[in-house]
Amino acid sequence: MQTEIWVAIVVAAIGTYALRVGPLLWTQRHFNKHKANNSQAHLPMWLSVLGPLMIAAMLGASLIPKEPSQASWVATVIGTLVTTLVWRKYRTLGLPVFCGVLAFGASLALSS
Amino acid sequence: MGNMPDYNCLSQGGERMNAPMQKGGWRQGVIDGLPLLGGYIPVAISFGVIAIQAGFSTLEATLISVFIYAGASQFLLVAMVASGSPLWLAVCMTLLVNVRHVVYAPNLVPFLSQSKVWPYLMHGLTDQIFALAHTRLPTMNDSEKVNWFKGVSLVAWFSWILGTALGGVAGDTLTQEWPVMDNVMPFALPALFLVLLAPKFADKLWSVVLLTTIFTALIIAQSTFKNAAIPLAAITGALTFYLLHSRIDRKQPYAN
Repeated sequence: MQTEIWVAIVVAAIGTYALRVGPLLWTQRHFNKHKANNSQAHLPMWLSVLGPLMIAAMLGASLIPKEPSQASWVATVIGTLVTTLVWRKYRTLGLPVFCGVLAFGASLALSS
Repeated sequence: MGNMPDYNCLSQGGERMNAPMQKGGWRQGVIDGLPLLGGYIPVAISFGVIAIQAGFSTLEATLISVFIYAGASQFLLVAMVASGSPLWLAVCMTLLVNVRHVVYAPNLVPFLSQSKVWPYLMHGLTDQIFALAHTRLPTMNDSEKVNWFKGVSLVAWFSWILGTALGGVAGDTLTQEWPVMDNVMPFALPALFLVLLAPKFADKLWSVVLLTTIFTALIIAQSTFKNAAIPLAAITGALTFYLLHSRIDRKQPYAN
């Protein structure tokens, strides 16, 4: 591969890492400054609201089946329902995901 | 703030709440990372296949996954390089897609322990790791947090790297022989996000805001602006939150 392409990949890698680590360092410094002054630091409300909303947005975007069709959308609804019901009963992380995937797969298999 | 996230959300089952405290951070991190495999490996295999088709070798595709390690933007970068786009533009677009990551670490800072290794671990802060960490870290002992994060992020990182290499070597064969892996396993990601968010649906305001965000992302992700679906949907959700929050604040004086 050409050297320029590698340079582009390295710049993209460093830039992506900077987007992840830069805000961490800035916020940690902000919190430590408050700690040194014996005061309580808080995240701005908009920032703390965005946390769960980013997860919700990822949920919405990832719900779209790889090959959208009536069967795959029905499987998505069934998988979502089963995941929710199993979570309501057990309140764990792994089991609802496992059952949801199983229900999604079973629904797809039955409709094909 | 009355409507702030319920950070003990996964703890409502009692038994689950104590689990991370009793088990080692590493072990719990690895266990929590396992559901990610269903989503990461098939997508990484697809990335390996596409990178090979775009003219990259398996080693090059794998190195991209090692160093950039950011799903959608890797697809974009490889596609733009293959189509002959200017490299500066390909890099800018990659970073633009990844700019959403800037809100992740600040949301975790209140729950991080005092350790100097956190900045080094941020390479592993993907969307899914953020979602898990945002829910799990508040329920853990400080002494276990670094190890938990190492465990969960290494499982995710290695699965992404391994999936890319597999995709480069035998991606076409794999997806043809085991279509279930390609079509069914990725449902693990929405199922995981759903479980992480589920406790917040106990609150009416958050239910409306989250559903608005989810459906906005669902719609935008099917349009031509799919790479902007996550930030645009999150902003829409935030606006909805502020709108409803201010209406509730206005109504409260009259409620009593």
